[in-house]
Amino acid sequence: MTMLPERAPGAKKLGLVIDLDTCVGCHACAVNCKEWNTGGEAGILPDYDKYGPEPDGVWFNRIHSYETEEEGCSRTVNVPRSCLHCDDALCVTVCPTGASYKRVQDGIVLVDTEKCIGCQLCSWACPYGARELDEKQGVMRKCTLCVDRIYDENLPPAEREPACVATCPSRARHFGDLADPDSKVSKLVKERGGVDLLAGLGYRPTNKYLPPRRATIPTAPVKPPAPGNKGIGTALLELIDKALSR
Amino acid sequence: MKPAASVLLLTTATGFGFGLLAWLGAYSALGLLPGHARILLAVGVTISLLFASLGLGASVFHLERKQRAWRAFSQWRSSWLSREGVAAVLTYPVAIVFVAVSWHDGQVIWTRLLGLAALVASLGTVYCTAMIYASLKPIRQWHNRHTAPDYLLYAVFSGAVLYASLHTVDLGATGATASVAAAAAAGVALIAKRAYWRHIDAQTPLATLAAAIGLPKGVEARALDAPHFTENYILRQMGFAVARRHAVKLRHMVLVIGFALPLACSIMAGLALAPMTTTTLALACAGVGLLLERWLFFAEATHVSAVYYGRRI
Repeated sequence: MTMLPERAPGAKKLGLVIDLDTCVGCHACAVNCKEWNTGGEAGILPDYDKYGPEPDGVWFNRIHSYETEEEGCSRTVNVPRSCLHCDDALCVTVCPTGASYKRVQDGIVLVDTEKCIGCQLCSWACPYGARELDEKQGVMRKCTLCVDRIYDENLPPAEREPACVATCPSRARHFGDLADPDSKVSKLVKERGGVDLLAGLGYRPTNKYLPPRRATIPTAPVKPPAPGNKGIGTALLELIDKALSR
Repeated sequence: MKPAASVLLLTTATGFGFGLLAWLGAYSALGLLPGHARILLAVGVTISLLFASLGLGASVFHLERKQRAWRAFSQWRSSWLSREGVAAVLTYPVAIVFVAVSWHDGQVIWTRLLGLAALVASLGTVYCTAMIYASLKPIRQWHNRHTAPDYLLYAVFSGAVLYASLHTVDLGATGATASVAAAAAAGVALIAKRAYWRHIDAQTPLATLAAAIGLPKGVEARALDAPHFTENYILRQMGFAVARRHAVKLRHMVLVIGFALPLACSIMAGLALAPMTTTTLALACAGVGLLLERWLFFAEATHVSAVYYGRRI
């Protein structure tokens, strides 16, 4: 059913909050995602030309690095990009077969690969580039928010979170219920001014990104050494340096 | 966007097929078909359904899982692709009943009403096809007020040149109405295409890179490292770009081959100047020109997700 579900009052809205301030761009989340979703029961993420010159494959999560510049200060910002489990998920409504759907109970957007015909229209409808074609099985693949992990009662409660969140060494990824204003993730979004990516397109993504903070440690501008009044010691050292450099 | 041969053939061939059916339906509804319309209508509807089937058959080749294609008819409540499938399949029985009643009873009131139904069903299908593209918000060259009317115009134009050559083969001369219709449709299509290009050339990209990664205004961003050093599915599909100078040349070719030549040929046919040759030439040019036009429609379209890779959108 590709109509978007009416959100029931009190229904969860599970998603990620990604901190662009602390993400170090190590790609560990992408690697653990790939590992979990390749090895798990449900996920078979293909790789093509694995050991050849043009390795390629399906990834639910890809990490970009950008250089930003603001008022003459530049910095590196790493942006992990995956499905944002949008409220207005156009990828769901364009699906002609009902393979794409958004879950009523927690808002997770999934693909039923038994129904998918591989028309790829959903990948055209997603502005975030989050859906990729499995060229081996001929069906679409996308982030499942590790739906096979977060509800698995065989796992210890602390491990019932998406693989990308569990592995992040800089704790830049947070998982929780964004419909609950008192959840850890909602509070983070509120405190840090979390934003929607491409908000202008109106997809109302669930996942939020915390913008990089401005440097808060005051740094004095570097002063060039005043010329002319070198002490006798400095002059002597320079002389020795010159002699030894010969 | 990557122009896939199956989709180019789908949209162009169904344009010819459903366009021809729309004209046959319109002429019938208005009582403008020539006296012995029985055979003309039977042959015309057969050809239109052959073209439509060619297009729809080609579209199946765009699917990775062809054996599941039947599932695509289920989500007509939300999906334009599904609606296109349903509308196309519904057009067939309408066309067949239309031609059967006309064969049996001639041009009676029922034939005229069925002609109207065939007109609505065929243009309705073309509209659904157009809306598949027009509804995609991440692609500014498609998600605009030009796409849907343009698709309808090109279908009407291709149907008109197809009808004119059919009419000529049937009667040995083009009816003045058919060639005037073809020439007028070519002229309107030409103007519409130029207006579309003016529109997309004046558009600004949907987002800057900084905005796409949620940075506030006033911050500049450059792509430093891509996630992987090789191309991937997203880049092959959404990152396809045609060189600007090639696009300019191709646009001229579309205008000349696709619209100006069929316009000139239709006028000549209307003036009874070698109508057999000129109508065939108009048809051939329209076919080649519209395939090229459709290729450009895809190749010039940019997808906002390519901005994450630092590509021009």
